[in-house]
Amino acid sequence: MAGSMNEPVLEVRELSTSFFTDDGEVKAVRDVSFDLAAGETLGIVGESGCGKSVTALSILGLVPRPGRVVAGEILFRGRDLLSIDREELRQIRGRDIAMIFQDPLSSLNPVHRIGAQIEEAMRAHDKVAPRDVRPRGLDLLRQVHVPDAARRVRNYPHQFSGGMRQRVMIAMGLSNRPEILIADEPTTALDVTVQAQILQLLRDLNRDLGTSIILITHNLGVVAGLCSRVVVMYAGEIVEQGSTEQIFDAPQHPYTWALLRSLPRVDADRHERLRSIEGLPPDLIAPPTGCKFNPRCPFRLERCFSEAPELKPVGDGQVAACWVTMKRAYAEMGAGSLLDTRAGAASGVRPPAVPLPLAITGGSQTAGPEPLERE
Amino acid sequence: MSSAPSTEPSTGTRPDPSGEPLLRAVDVVKHFNVGVGTVCRAVDGVSFEIRAGETVGLVGESGCGKSTLARVLTRLTPATSGRVIFEGVELTGLRGESLRQQRKQLQMIFQDPFASLDPRMTVGDIIAEPLTNFKVVRGKAKDARVQELLRVVGLNPYFNNRYPHEFSGGQRQRIGIARALALNPKLIICDEPVSALDVSIQAQIINLLEDLQAEFNLTYLFIAHDLSVVRHISQRVLVMYLGKIVEIAPSDDLYSTQFHPYTKALLSAVPVPDPRVESQRRLVELTGEIPSPLHPPSGCRFHTRCPIAQVPGICSEEEPPLEEKGNGHLAACHFSAQVGAALG
Repeated sequence: MAGSMNEPVLEVRELSTSFFTDDGEVKAVRDVSFDLAAGETLGIVGESGCGKSVTALSILGLVPRPGRVVAGEILFRGRDLLSIDREELRQIRGRDIAMIFQDPLSSLNPVHRIGAQIEEAMRAHDKVAPRDVRPRGLDLLRQVHVPDAARRVRNYPHQFSGGMRQRVMIAMGLSNRPEILIADEPTTALDVTVQAQILQLLRDLNRDLGTSIILITHNLGVVAGLCSRVVVMYAGEIVEQGSTEQIFDAPQHPYTWALLRSLPRVDADRHERLRSIEGLPPDLIAPPTGCKFNPRCPFRLERCFSEAPELKPVGDGQVAACWVTMKRAYAEMGAGSLLDTRAGAASGVRPPAVPLPLAITGGSQTAGPEPLERE
Repeated sequence: MSSAPSTEPSTGTRPDPSGEPLLRAVDVVKHFNVGVGTVCRAVDGVSFEIRAGETVGLVGESGCGKSTLARVLTRLTPATSGRVIFEGVELTGLRGESLRQQRKQLQMIFQDPFASLDPRMTVGDIIAEPLTNFKVVRGKAKDARVQELLRVVGLNPYFNNRYPHEFSGGQRQRIGIARALALNPKLIICDEPVSALDVSIQAQIINLLEDLQAEFNLTYLFIAHDLSVVRHISQRVLVMYLGKIVEIAPSDDLYSTQFHPYTKALLSAVPVPDPRVESQRRLVELTGEIPSPLHPPSGCRFHTRCPIAQVPGICSEEEPPLEEKGNGHLAACHFSAQVGAALG
């Protein structure tokens, strides 16, 4: 692998991607910047529509119409992928940066044998010598633990289970020994036991081959198990970034903090009511002014309605975009014992005069005064 | 199951919450014919009970038969054999109007909030449909009831004239819940109600289900593949594998003690949002693939993937019965005593 551990292989600089729809410009990704160091495993987490997948597609020049990258730089080994020509980008894609997707069935061609598809991935680039292509295909299937690989290379995709198909996709992704593997929700469609096997496989590949991995997921448990650094996205922006320990032990953005507390844990000692995040993610055609999380944030201040916070250092290598940060929320707003998770509940800053038309609040709090009659 | 089926109560008697369970499944079997002489054993002899006011979780991986079981319990699909007894009435034998009347008490919430609501009906009509079907209320009273239900599930009561596409996934799931509540059911079967939702919305819906349970004295059968969610919401958890229940555990015990190696393997694979826990994970890895329900393995169905099976031997020859292991914990494994020690 080229470069030392600290040297970034990929630098994303102020990336903005929009979708130009009939309803207006959907600002899917805004001013996203992060580095990926050689051999690093980076998690990008967030909920649907937060821009995590669009960020990945932007890196590879795969943003579908009507979307396009509107600003920024994506530097791979110092070269901007957004300004090189299509053919050059096509060569980098699959050879140097490979991607695997959530649904392995729709990513495989149903009428070609598994072996042929892996070989095609290698023949498309000239990194592997033609006479090595076939044996390497078989090796790769063994490497991703497909049992009975010699026979299975002749199978078609429908003869593989979901987990096995995802192994095939990983084998294809690795076939040209890429420096970076981008995995977009690689285990979301899989059962939990199979998920654990695929994650183990990705861990081994990172350790043994030094492949840098960008893992895109909504599952914080998966990130905790695989990644060394985490980027948290909300409404198209990075709201927090830090080491996995920092993000899980001392999150500084209220969204990260709330997301972690809203998860039920299988190893919890006792039953506690989940602390949900009230409301919905914003509409990205007309996002709220100021901080985009302000309509859902228990700790918001007046300032959060008007001024958008920028990412600022909140720890050693940890950054968060928040006017309050959780340090202050714990010290001044009693975040540690907060039960009411409604917006402004901890800071006392209540909603502006005009409420959101589709605003919903937590379950029984809004139930009418008279209980439902049972017959 | 411990309760004796001899004391079959007559129709119409109110069940005692401490005695007769709200729902009892006895040896329920659902086989599908899939071509000449081939049978898919989707549910293959399942017995359990649900007591009034309880939340029972049902977990298992895709294809284990959990959704088929839900459909059999609600008689959306007829059972091949076995009995489903709800409030002392055997549902499996009912037809026509008497079945329809029983169904009032038994509602379902589905996984996909986009597919389970008719896009051409207003939200008000969707929620009112069961009220109309069963002629419970009419006219103004019906509108009032719909608005009340919307409020109960945390939606604006004046949304009744809107259409499903105007709502987000979480809000649609609330609409589905309002519809399920319309007839004041006793039991709600929730089939993967939160798996299509984002994390922050999941918590809202889980809390809503818990609040409604307390408010209306509901009983839930909660089906999901996510063990963390199931453990959180349930008092007891049923674990299914290839059409059979392999373990029934009080959820407080589930994480600390497992008597079936499959449960152990499932739990060992659940991701925990804590890097320290993750770094100490000891994965009980299962070999091979889940076998086809067309040709389930002989003896214990799990023996082909079990890390502690004796093959050839008792595990491949004899099917282990679901037995009490103490403290309301049941398991179907010949070597249940060794599970803890052998698999760490």
